[in-house]
Amino acid sequence: MGKTLAEKILGSHTKKGDATAGEIVEATVDFLMVHEVLGSRIIPILEEMGVEKVWDPERILVVNDHWAPAKDSMSAEIHQRNRQFVAKHSIKHFCDVNCGICHQVLPEMGLVKPGDLVIGSDSHSTSYGAFNAFSTGLAATDSALIIATGKCWFRVPESLRINISGDLPDMVMSKDLILKIVTDLGPDGANYKSIEFHGPTMDSMSIESRMTVANMSVEAGAKSGLMTVNDAVRMWMATRAPGVKWKEVVPDDDAKYVEQIDIDLQKEPIDPIVAVPHSPSNGKPVSEVEGVELDQAFIGSCTNGRLEDLEIAARILKGKQVNPGLRMIITPASRETYLQALRLGYIETFIQAGAIVTNSTCGACVGGHLGVLGSGEVCISSTNRNFRGRMGHPESLVYLASPATVAASALKGVITDPRSVR
Amino acid sequence: MVKKLEQIKGRAWVFGNNVDTDQIIQGRYLTLLDYAEMAKHAFEIPRPEFASAVRKNDIIIAGRNFGGGSSREEAPQILVRTGVGCVVAESFARIFYRNGFNVGLPLMTVPEVTAVVRNGMKLTVDLSEGTLTVDETGEVLKGDALPQMMLDLLRAGGAVPRFRQQK
Repeated sequence: MGKTLAEKILGSHTKKGDATAGEIVEATVDFLMVHEVLGSRIIPILEEMGVEKVWDPERILVVNDHWAPAKDSMSAEIHQRNRQFVAKHSIKHFCDVNCGICHQVLPEMGLVKPGDLVIGSDSHSTSYGAFNAFSTGLAATDSALIIATGKCWFRVPESLRINISGDLPDMVMSKDLILKIVTDLGPDGANYKSIEFHGPTMDSMSIESRMTVANMSVEAGAKSGLMTVNDAVRMWMATRAPGVKWKEVVPDDDAKYVEQIDIDLQKEPIDPIVAVPHSPSNGKPVSEVEGVELDQAFIGSCTNGRLEDLEIAARILKGKQVNPGLRMIITPASRETYLQALRLGYIETFIQAGAIVTNSTCGACVGGHLGVLGSGEVCISSTNRNFRGRMGHPESLVYLASPATVAASALKGVITDPRSVR
Repeated sequence: MVKKLEQIKGRAWVFGNNVDTDQIIQGRYLTLLDYAEMAKHAFEIPRPEFASAVRKNDIIIAGRNFGGGSSREEAPQILVRTGVGCVVAESFARIFYRNGFNVGLPLMTVPEVTAVVRNGMKLTVDLSEGTLTVDETGEVLKGDALPQMMLDLLRAGGAVPRFRQQK
């Protein structure tokens, strides 16, 4: 029987070199990413475990990103603990509060390559599936065990294959595609499973768009959101990790999938999608929610704070003014993204349009800082979760959408179809 | 510390489907370094009375996809800290499930449990048997059997005590 991407990549990291869906395997991890969870939870666990030495200081990235720079003295203490840990253990890769969001900076630093097994102390670690790596989010205890041993146990997931063909129409983004997929699957439709995204649409997609899809796979409960290598990945590896050897992993033709879904965007084009409160799987065509009044529009996060996202927002906002009844907040995903946007003039466009541009941080997406919602406030957001209370007050409402829909809505002050402001 | 997995006796707190991690513990409390302090905010959004009214060994009953969303281990940790004896759900989100065992929080999957159990009912859960009994009526619901590896993890009290045992 042939193997899926998940079986192949997990299998290649086991002693026996093989893995089959359903079995529990111990695998050697290539790389671990930890953020503030290191300081708040992992360090105390390592102390309790009696671990003095990390397994490999060159295979760990520490990022201070969730509340960057510190929003209060507690987050400042967590950041201090991370800095001390990095110094004490000579951790090679460290991004302090000036770098950006973990899932953006890890690939930017060339720390993921096709075929890798990458773990992050964050649920959106599925993002690296865009690079043909098996990556998933675990929490503090598992991260501590990996820091100690470099190993982790996995139940090898069953796989769900989605074949996508056709082009996304103008002003319809990969965010709309994944919101539709998550809505069709439901919040647990891919629970414990690995999703494989295939087809010409995925092959022609940019890194940014692919990362959005892989990132939000977890919103359907998926353990990973995997893709094969395309030209964008080849180009990325050549520039971000020159000289690093890697080998593409492809699933076997006779691999076993629990389900296969075909999406033909030519036959059935999709509209911009908005996920209404309080679940990312509550997606609706934008026409069904047009006119909902807004207090805030937010573009940022590991899901949609990349250059492509800022570019489309700048295109929509250029020479125009954000509706005075609303505040617009833009948080580039990383310092590098910020700099590129600055050079291309997007940042000036945003500020001229009346938007607030913040430093790179998870910030508003986690209700942390720089855009927290008050009681009764309504926000349209390019982020990944609209759970009750996610971005602030339990009585606030979050609508998830693409950066294009967020920017168009910011102009009108109400939820707006981006195709209507071209 | 060896954890008892039979005869977990407590009162039911019944929740619906898709109780996400922000409903268990909101993101804004994650900078609290003291779990006891954080536990005061358990289920603050859906059940504000929970943290002050929960008693030792009380049992959380939930529908599908309990614990979806964030990977935050604080979610099962604070349930341990509030004294919750066990969570019985129709299904669990993947990361929460793993985290529960890692921190020593007993979890059991029982189909249709929310169709039978009501708030405040007295229950007895036996993880090694995989059963939930409604004390008043004697009705027994059968849960999915736990793999031996998970039972061993729970008996040890979680992944950290087990690591220390094996070291």
